[in-house]
Amino acid sequence: MTIKIRMRGKVKGPIAEVKALIKHPMESGVRMNKKTGKPYPAKYIESVSITVNGTEAVTSQWSGAVSANPYLAVKLTATKGDKIAISLTDNMGETGTSQITLK
Amino acid sequence: MKRRSFLKNTLATGTAVIAANAGLLTPTTVLADWNKKAFSAKTTDEALSNVFGSANAVESSDIKLKAPAIAENGAVTPVTVDASTMSGVESIAIMASKNPQPLVCEYTFGAAAVGFVSTRIKMGQTMDVIAVVKAGGKLFKAQQEVKVTIGGCGG
Repeated sequence: MTIKIRMRGKVKGPIAEVKALIKHPMESGVRMNKKTGKPYPAKYIESVSITVNGTEAVTSQWSGAVSANPYLAVKLTATKGDKIAISLTDNMGETGTSQITLK
Repeated sequence: MKRRSFLKNTLATGTAVIAANAGLLTPTTVLADWNKKAFSAKTTDEALSNVFGSANAVESSDIKLKAPAIAENGAVTPVTVDASTMSGVESIAIMASKNPQPLVCEYTFGAAAVGFVSTRIKMGQTMDVIAVVKAGGKLFKAQQEVKVTIGGCGG
């Protein structure tokens, strides 16, 4: 299973704003299952990396306190034609990648 | 039974060897590993010193922290940290002061990035959102209280 990502980029002068919506439960491992009395097993995205034309621009580490189906926006110095890629990994080893070309 | 324990043992030693190899051969990726210590810290100061090596952050008005005054649903609190007017922003950390583990997320910026982050975080109760920005080797912070109304209705 791979993690689904929707990404969009908008160029505004010298800066491009890149937004991503990620489909992920982001289970912190604290929430209780009321029927069994045991917590739901933790499953959350641990690391995110965004690259511009293959060069790392933003790296990030998350905890289970980021909301479910995370939304993320960053600003990059990039222009038309630049390739923006995002890749992420969760604590269970699942990964997801997505790439766009700025228009 | 014997076959089972044999398999178990070989598997366990196998992974241990792989882990050791990875540690020896690729120290850089090990450094970039998930910062477990910081994320399991129970206080904001402890989390900060594990991320940045120091907890002495100075309040700065250059950091624009945008968070709602009242969040009707604490599980999706939109938070925006804009430090784009500051120069040499290296990283941004977002913390929720009264969460069991305060550190929510941490961003490190390369040359092609502007010091700006927008995301959504979970908050269990009314508390402060703290944004810590590392710029030019120094730590700056901004904080704002967010009221979490669990009953809904915006009250």
